[in-house]
Amino acid sequence: MLGRLDWSAIPLHEPLPLAAAGGVGLAVAASLFWITKRGHWGYLWREWITSVDHKRIGVLYCILALLMLIRGLVDAVMMRTHQAVAVGDAQGYLPPDHYDQIFSAHGTIMIFFGAMPFIVGLMNFAVPLQIGARDVAFPTLNAASFWLTASGALLVNVSLVIGEFARTGWLPYAPLSETSYSPGVGVDYYLWAIQIAGVGTLLSGVNLVTTIVKLRAPGMTMLRLPMFCWTSLGANLLIVAAFPILTATVTMLTFDRYLGFHFFTNEAGGNPMMFVNMIWAWGHPEVYILILPAFGIFSEIFSTFSGKPLFGYRSMVAATMFIVVVSFTVWLHHFFTMGAGADVNAAFGIATSIIAVGTGVKIFNWIFTMYGGSVRFETPMLWSMAFLITFVVGGMTGVLLAVPPADFVLHNSMFLVAHFHNVIVGGVVFGVIAGYTYWFPKAFGFRLDERWGKIAFWFHMIGFTAVFVPMYWLGLEGMTRRLQHVYDAGWTPFLYVMAAGVLASVAGTAALIMQLAVSIRDRRDERLRDDLGDPWDGRTLEWGLPSPPPFFNFAQLPDVSGEEAYWSIKRKAIEQGELPEEPDYDMIEMPRPTPTGIFVAFFSTLIGFACIWHIWWLVMVSGAGVYLAFVGYAWRDVHERDVSVDEVRRADQAARAPRAAALARLVKEGRT
Amino acid sequence: MSGTTEPGALALEEPAERNGREDRGRGIAAYLIGFGIALLLTAASFAVVMTDLVWGPAVPAAIVTLAVAQMGVHLVFFLHLTSGPDNSSNAVTVAFGTFVCLLVVFGSVWIMTHLSHAGPPHATAAGM
Amino acid sequence: MSAVPTPRRSEWAGPPAKDIVTAYGFWMFLIGDVIMFASFFAGYAVLAGGRAGGPGPADIIELPNVAVQTLCLLTSTLTCALAGVMAERRRMAWTQLWLLATGLLGVIFLALEIREFSHLIERGATPQRSAFLSGFFMLVGCHGVHVVAGILWLGTMMAQVAVRGPKAYVQRRLSAFMLYWHALDIVWVGLFSIVYIWGSIT
Repeated sequence: MLGRLDWSAIPLHEPLPLAAAGGVGLAVAASLFWITKRGHWGYLWREWITSVDHKRIGVLYCILALLMLIRGLVDAVMMRTHQAVAVGDAQGYLPPDHYDQIFSAHGTIMIFFGAMPFIVGLMNFAVPLQIGARDVAFPTLNAASFWLTASGALLVNVSLVIGEFARTGWLPYAPLSETSYSPGVGVDYYLWAIQIAGVGTLLSGVNLVTTIVKLRAPGMTMLRLPMFCWTSLGANLLIVAAFPILTATVTMLTFDRYLGFHFFTNEAGGNPMMFVNMIWAWGHPEVYILILPAFGIFSEIFSTFSGKPLFGYRSMVAATMFIVVVSFTVWLHHFFTMGAGADVNAAFGIATSIIAVGTGVKIFNWIFTMYGGSVRFETPMLWSMAFLITFVVGGMTGVLLAVPPADFVLHNSMFLVAHFHNVIVGGVVFGVIAGYTYWFPKAFGFRLDERWGKIAFWFHMIGFTAVFVPMYWLGLEGMTRRLQHVYDAGWTPFLYVMAAGVLASVAGTAALIMQLAVSIRDRRDERLRDDLGDPWDGRTLEWGLPSPPPFFNFAQLPDVSGEEAYWSIKRKAIEQGELPEEPDYDMIEMPRPTPTGIFVAFFSTLIGFACIWHIWWLVMVSGAGVYLAFVGYAWRDVHERDVSVDEVRRADQAARAPRAAALARLVKEGRT
Repeated sequence: MSGTTEPGALALEEPAERNGREDRGRGIAAYLIGFGIALLLTAASFAVVMTDLVWGPAVPAAIVTLAVAQMGVHLVFFLHLTSGPDNSSNAVTVAFGTFVCLLVVFGSVWIMTHLSHAGPPHATAAGM
Repeated sequence: MSAVPTPRRSEWAGPPAKDIVTAYGFWMFLIGDVIMFASFFAGYAVLAGGRAGGPGPADIIELPNVAVQTLCLLTSTLTCALAGVMAERRRMAWTQLWLLATGLLGVIFLALEIREFSHLIERGATPQRSAFLSGFFMLVGCHGVHVVAGILWLGTMMAQVAVRGPKAYVQRRLSAFMLYWHALDIVWVGLFSIVYIWGSIT
């Protein structure tokens, strides 16, 4: 009746997972209790769970990401502290199979459920606002994408309490991931979580490409798109092209495990190396999917906080598209040592070195953007400048690794681990924190506290440096990655420094949490409140809207006449001392909220869980559930709800009032 | 309400001839022609392997050519992929998609064949 | 990217029509789907030599069966297109008829494929036998699963057409279905050419 699920799946004899599960369980129960007590379920259901509003969905993605980044950080703390006390005769405190699950969960969670949702969330929130659209092309699909991602995250976390997680690393290489070497449920949890979340991401890619190509406001030609939209377009094109490869590869491994197929087995003609090849054909575009939107965020921040337009816009566009195309030609550099021979290695090594040129163009353009500008060192800018330095270092170590002979020495050493953390943390994580700080006021109507932001920044900088600089050295010294036991006592000082470093990162994360709490507490204070909707003197269209924007975004779709659409409108208003005249308001049609997204995800989670535990009847029932959820959605006759002219007018006048007042003040002070 | 043309709408409800979209009711003739050509190309593929019309070593090339040609016929006659103004984004996308498909297939075959040269005797690849 | 720049408000004819947006989005999805097929193709191509001493392509392929399958699918593409023409002309009875024909041809295709698979399995040429057979069953089977999904979608569409008639959203979904069905036939062209026709002489 319950397949292979029984009481032994719960790790009653392992204190750490039990404690963690207990803690999380308490937190979840407390939240549910508080929501029920305060009667918030109606609000949550109407405004968030069934929402198809891209702004809400973006926030949900970011919340999921923040929670999962914290879980990933906890894994990192465990690894660093364990290794520091597992040298020579010391044994550490994590047994090998536990340690293996931790490094596997760390990578899986950080990439799939931390970094990806964060950048998808920021793209969801900002792109429609920046292109002058009311929502994405397929709002209900958007909601489904989020809930499917959350479903994958849920499965990974459930594995902590029911069963186990994979011990194969964040990419489950065969034949270790085949049933003969991993007979438990761990790899199955991984495969189903990734497969379900992967579908969500693919649909999101389709959605955002269509949005950017088809839903731009009048006058917003492609070459007037904000840079964040260009990089989002690039990233989403990569998603559409690369994620199907992941789907196919995961399916092949799943069939090997469930039906005894022989794609990647050692026997019957299977080829384990084919798994490595296919998974990296996805894996390399994946890292560009992560970094391109971050590049876009930095472009916005560099220009806004230097008070200058982005330098070299067209070369930035060219560099972005160049990266998109070339990112598909380098994937073998992840397995130079697998023995493809000099010709193949050389070809991919050269392509890898070439792709660095695109990023180099961007680095110089950002520097030239700052040059001659009046730079403001607020928190988003601090993160951006830190990125500039750390990413160049990380990129250079990447070019070093791109040379096959060097890679033969350094492959799978701590040097590699340092390199990819350097670029992912220094690039993606710094980018999403900067973007989170930058767009927070737009989403919620108040800024994040600057002081705590700076504290968080400096702790993270110290932590990042203390963890990853020694790690490069350890790699050069010959330390392999993923060691549960460290055999060279000479490495101990470095391990101590790294453990201290990760604790500094914990302090930095605690500071970020403090920042959020303090900001929410003080949100009506003069120093944090965002009455106007333009706290940073922004240049793109979202800063022309109130904070938060009305659910339909623009009362009238903006008429874009040049690059930096909002900047020219703002300058003109300031020069003339008055706002542009009120538009002719029209009735607006907006998509209706629907629970389809969460229903589809709910049944998908059940399908995944049931497949993992071989509860076949539940698979059938849940499959029917997904289909019925689709049909239920497809059967509705009224797809939109109308927003009356009065409502539009009222919202727009409420938005205009503080801006008119601010302009009047400027006029009085003679500053127009 | 369907059928509104409010500038504030998320997108227009009615199919818009005024947006320059080609009239899809180009007629049944085009579909019949496409079907006919596809039928011929299919028959030709079978004929290539069931008869001696094509010189032995050239057979794989002939099969591939006929397949690509038929895919083209489908794209043009059934999927209406042309170079018209509303279709240019579609054409670029198809080109990018094709590029990726070719890379994945031929790149994998290239890599895995080289790996098999270096690997133990039983690890073979691409036995085509 | 659109060759025609988005015009200014005075000349702006309005936001793009929903059917254009839906069609473009569905194109994107189809491109992704084709790339997934390409990945399975790559798996097949690389592993085709892994026969583990068992049957190879020439041993398992029956060309007459494939010919009938191909004829069915190709004809169903035509009937599907005709259904689209009728739908555009708002002649829903004819639309349903051509859709039904499409579905029936799809069912025949599937029946032939299932028969082929059962014969192979009876003979011991199971996907568990070798990497080559795993690759074969996965690639051809994936296409078959897409046909099953398509027929399920088709049935649901026919029900919706019957109940709702030629509403705008019904038309959009029919167009999307047609794109899907045509794309499936394109994939089949590649499949039957490389796996079956080429395979028969390997």
